[in-house]
Amino acid sequence: MGKTFYLEITASDRKFYNGECEMMIFPAIDGEQGILPNHESMVTAVKTGALRFKVNGEWKEAAVGDGFVEIMPEFVVLLADTVEWPDEIDIRRAEEAKERAQERLRQKESQKEYYHSKAALSRAIARLKVTGKHL
Amino acid sequence: MANMTEIRSRMKSIQETMKITNAMYLISSTKLRKAREKLDATAPYFELLQSTIKDILFHSPDINHTFFDQRKKIKPEDKKRGYVVMTADKGMAGAYNHNVLKLAQERLAQGNDNTLFVIGQMGRKYFTKKNVRIDMEFLYTAQDPSMWRARNIAETLVDLYRKEKLDEIYIIYTKMVTPLKAEPEIIQILPLKRQSFEEMNVELEKYHKIADYSPSPKVVMDHLVPNYVKGLIYGALVESFSSEQNARMMAMQGATESAKDMIRELSLLYNRARQAAITQEITEIVSGAKAFQKK
Repeated sequence: MGKTFYLEITASDRKFYNGECEMMIFPAIDGEQGILPNHESMVTAVKTGALRFKVNGEWKEAAVGDGFVEIMPEFVVLLADTVEWPDEIDIRRAEEAKERAQERLRQKESQKEYYHSKAALSRAIARLKVTGKHL
Repeated sequence: MANMTEIRSRMKSIQETMKITNAMYLISSTKLRKAREKLDATAPYFELLQSTIKDILFHSPDINHTFFDQRKKIKPEDKKRGYVVMTADKGMAGAYNHNVLKLAQERLAQGNDNTLFVIGQMGRKYFTKKNVRIDMEFLYTAQDPSMWRARNIAETLVDLYRKEKLDEIYIIYTKMVTPLKAEPEIIQILPLKRQSFEEMNVELEKYHKIADYSPSPKVVMDHLVPNYVKGLIYGALVESFSSEQNARMMAMQGATESAKDMIRELSLLYNRARQAAITQEITEIVSGAKAFQKK
């Protein structure tokens, strides 16, 4: 029983990360959830937000989109629409997206549009959060 | 024998057409390269997506959820079926559009209550002419598939399914079987069928028992299935797009080849006509000169 588990993170357009990991914290539906080696096997959904995982004592951060995660005692598979490293994020674009979404939320929108704007807002905030520029 | 100016103008017009077909060939080959890259980049995601879902279904046989509800109370002939048909925005791609439309037509004949969701102009024109019911607000192009578009499409479809405006949803698209062969294919997206996952022979040994769904199977499925539908649609869009470019590339290559053949034949005819004209002129001169000598 090692102190690490095998982590596989795959986005819809690429393989994001493959390798050993000591701990992972991901945004679940009802708040953040931490995973350590030998976790009980479980399936759960991932929400847009900031993902953190520890490799060789060093924390790595990334922005994730919606997806799901399959947790096994020895390995974890995380599948999401998008996964990005902080240095891949265009801060200005994310800020503009955030403002646009907030602007739209102030207007009276249909329910569907409202959900779209909210999703866009949470994506923008997640991106800003991992780049450390958010509040 | 046709006269020389006629042949020449014909050759010229073929050459012009050849320029166009050749340009289209080059364009579609670069687009194909890009589409292939995209396809390769998404492939691991889809394999994992399908194997994980399959694994989850395999280990939770008693899940009772709308997405798994086969709606058996409704007779098969009365079921409201939705078809997402993926065609190209323009022709000039050999039998690409035709194959998809033919398959769609066959499927439409099976039920009475069909709604079509057409992606691409060619399909929309075809079905409008045939007076088939199309969702007119469903306007998406087949060019440059993106996750954003797949998300919107998936949302529309899942919504219609949940409101029971549709009982079954299928996608008709073109699959790249090998880099040189593309075939139209039909897959059912909703409701989820257990055996349909087993048919997709993805490796199972890697996965074992799943103990828990957090917070509950229903909540997980509520998030997971729309996500899966989105992934499936995105994959189909990418496959269709690269098949389209592939078909167009082949069609245009064929067209350029036959244009070359025609030019070769015509230039032979042209040379022959030219030669005949010269010979005739010489004969005329010689006979004229002879007639002059005899005097």
